Amino acid sequence: MLIKEIEIDENNIGYVPSLGLSFQMNETAKKIIELLKENKEQKEIAKIISEENNIDYKEAYIDVEDVILKLRVMGLL
Amino acid sequence: MKVAISGLNNTDNPAPGIGVAKGLREYELIGLSYDVNEPGIYQGLFDHVFLMPFPSVGWEEVRDRLIEIKKKVGLDILIPTLDAELPLLIKYQQELENLGIKTLLPSLEQFKLREKANLAEFCEKLGVKYPKTIKITTLDDLYKAVKEIGFPCMIKGNYYKAYKALNIDEAIEYYYKISNEWGFPLLVQEIVNGVEINFVGVSNEKLFGGVGIKKLTTTDLGKVWEAISIKNEKLFELTKKFVELSKWRGAFEVEAIATINDIYLIEINPRFPAWVNFSTELGVNLPKMMVDLIEGKNVEEKLNYPENKLYVRFVEENVVGFDMYKKLLSQKEL
Repeated sequence: MLIKEIEIDENNIGYVPSLGLSFQMNETAKKIIELLKENKEQKEIAKIISEENNIDYKEAYIDVEDVILKLRVMGLL
Repeated sequence: MKVAISGLNNTDNPAPGIGVAKGLREYELIGLSYDVNEPGIYQGLFDHVFLMPFPSVGWEEVRDRLIEIKKKVGLDILIPTLDAELPLLIKYQQELENLGIKTLLPSLEQFKLREKANLAEFCEKLGVKYPKTIKITTLDDLYKAVKEIGFPCMIKGNYYKAYKALNIDEAIEYYYKISNEWGFPLLVQEIVNGVEINFVGVSNEKLFGGVGIKKLTTTDLGKVWEAISIKNEKLFELTKKFVELSKWRGAFEVEAIATINDIYLIEINPRFPAWVNFSTELGVNLPKMMVDLIEGKNVEEKLNYPENKLYVRFVEENVVGFDMYKKLLSQKEL
């Protein structure tokens, strides 16, 4: 899976070396990508994001879905 | 050693000649131009510049001009870089050799198997994926093809130009636009969603050197302006297969689309791309490698290079005497 290849630097720039693909993200997206790389499921990730950021589970679920969708559009997931 | 290079345009539609010349500064370089306005003439890279007859006028005129150049300043090696020149020079490469002008070019058979109209069949032999493509020669064919492939799709010329059509009106517009300029057949091609990646290389029946890139920004004409060096295993394997199966001789550029699980071959250009100097700057001097192969030297394989290097083009100016321009225009040489 190409998602495993994503390198994220200290400025929250994601980079896929084999494709030369780069993109910017916020802290939440960074965390979501890290959890996806650990093969965690969408619901599980939403729960972690919700608890860590003290936000509503539904809101966190939408955030996770948004990141997954963007990764799919980029062909990384 | 005197090396002649064509393709001296260096506008926002740059030809590969300048990139090739930058890798061969140690030689006496002869620039072959088709237009006195080509900026590469005035960049100080060439020891001599000669205006050439267009390849469309035929072999005799091109041959006679090359003989004249050889007599005047000497000419040992010819590196053509323009698509329009290649069919003629490939066809007559043995005659060039007999004239004492060496090249490293594919055979006509190799050249044809990577033409867009034949690429699907070649990809099948390679065991590589290729987007669904339908060859068309009439408007009726176009209607049938877009019905089968659906929108959006690519409308492509067999040699030049490619446009993304979002609906039938656009498809018809591009059908006429390309066929009026470049003739038939045209191709209707499925769009594969993924990341376009490229590989430039030099081979002589085996791959001697190459570099992979991802284009970051392009001009309106689709020419690379910024790029990043990459190492993509699937792209490399595809390239190696292409070289091994075709026994390719010379320079080439592979264009591919990488998707999450696959790689699709899109195009193989039978020459150096205009960004070839990127490879030289990365330590893989492909034009020099080509000259060494032509000279029969023992050439070491060079397929390793630094990743994540950024290639950036920029605009530069130069001021030269107008006499240069006038001399080239009137005497057809500098």
